[in-house]
Amino acid sequence: MRALAGLALAVALAFLIVPVAALFLRVPPGDLIAALGSGVFRDALVVSLKTSAIAHLAVLVVGTPAAYVLARRRFLGRGLVLTVIELPLVLPPAVAGIALLAAFGRYQLLGGTLSALGISVGFTQLAVILAVAFVESPFYLRGAVAAFEAVDGTLVDAARTLGAPPARVFFRVALPLAAGGLGAASALALARGLGEFGATIIFAGSLQGVTQTLPLAIYAQFEQDFDLALAIGALFVLLGAVLLLFLKLVPGWTRSSSSSPFRFAPSRSS
Amino acid sequence: MRLVLVAALATGLALPSATTAASPITVFAAASLTAVFPRIAPAARYSFAGSDQLALQLQQGAPADVYAAASPKYPELLYHQGLVRKPVVFATNRLVLIVPRNNPARIGSVYDLRRSGIKLVIGDKGVPIGAYTRQILDTIGISADVLKNVVSEETDVKGIVGKVALGEADVGFVYATDARPVASRVKVVPLPAWAQPPIRYEIAVVKGGREPAARGFVARVTGKAGRAVMSKAGFGLPKG
Repeated sequence: MRALAGLALAVALAFLIVPVAALFLRVPPGDLIAALGSGVFRDALVVSLKTSAIAHLAVLVVGTPAAYVLARRRFLGRGLVLTVIELPLVLPPAVAGIALLAAFGRYQLLGGTLSALGISVGFTQLAVILAVAFVESPFYLRGAVAAFEAVDGTLVDAARTLGAPPARVFFRVALPLAAGGLGAASALALARGLGEFGATIIFAGSLQGVTQTLPLAIYAQFEQDFDLALAIGALFVLLGAVLLLFLKLVPGWTRSSSSSPFRFAPSRSS
Repeated sequence: MRLVLVAALATGLALPSATTAASPITVFAAASLTAVFPRIAPAARYSFAGSDQLALQLQQGAPADVYAAASPKYPELLYHQGLVRKPVVFATNRLVLIVPRNNPARIGSVYDLRRSGIKLVIGDKGVPIGAYTRQILDTIGISADVLKNVVSEETDVKGIVGKVALGEADVGFVYATDARPVASRVKVVPLPAWAQPPIRYEIAVVKGGREPAARGFVARVTGKAGRAVMSKAGFGLPKG
């Protein structure tokens, strides 16, 4: 049995590592350096970092208190709310893109209201930010709710009974105790946002220096300069690896017993 | 056997041997032919994809009997490599502008695209539609002014059609045949005939396949029945 399990692990590892390794074997180091200097790559990197950072910040600022409420309070329809939050997780990206268009397109549901406010979404970085936030937020919310649920409720209650106002309890007790899980969920969501492709290409289009993110640049170069597409792909792997390593090494977060954002604390209501 | 014979005759496929009647021939065809080829010969087996992808598959030895591409580039290359018989032109296409039904930017001709603030969607320069678009703008001599209005460079024609049909973009460059399926949502603005780049579709019999049956298929596509279907779908026809 143990040998079989070991074999299974080896197969799983090989399956995940071989494609990534093959990517690097196909790209000579010289091409990587050349890709770094290419205008397509640099423009896409700037667009990707800018849109991902803004979207991620918005997800953290709105998502953290929202997850706290969902984790602490028991109310009618809570299960439904949790399901709605997870919905984008199971939507194919193309569907997410079409749904965003149907909502924010200039002749669609909210388009008239937005243009009356002087906001135009189509083909702008705002569209990219919306697409990224839409697909990455369930990754963060899910993990954040679990992280807050794992916080020992008696500590929070103790702080309350000692007279700490709710905001102070949140910032000084719940947030530090949930930091490990929150950090891991944040890393996963950020990575998902950086890799966002389907919703972006349908909702925001693709224009170098404006809406063309790294994944879109890879796809566009695929038909023009295959070697450049491979090189950008390899750089993307490096960027993702650095991000993951950095987040795992941040000391405050190592307090968490697990680095997986999807450990589910037993919910007290069910 | 009789049924099979009738079916084979109905599709106009030649019957050099019993085996061809039993199993249909395999046709590799450009994605833009998806709607028309099955109407010309319903019995054949089809693989529709980008012309370049299909060419790559043929070079790797994929078993096909006929290759039909959206440009002469790959059929001529494969002919040169000895993989297919001499290709022939069987259809042509034109570039057109499409605008949303309500034409929000009031576009009446290609020259209106020079106005600033217009949301124009074109193909990426790596895909044929994008290359043809840049070519026609160069010929007309308004490239610099028009390309300033590009808000997105799509990687296939579907992306261009979709964004104009939904009204997100004011105008897009597509093939005439792509405008047909969304005729209820878009309006077509013709482009000057004198500036049109030659857009030719070529078809060839693959060497080493079931060549007599494949020749029958090519004859049907280039014959009266095929020409009628192609023309109805908006394709142009070569002389002959």
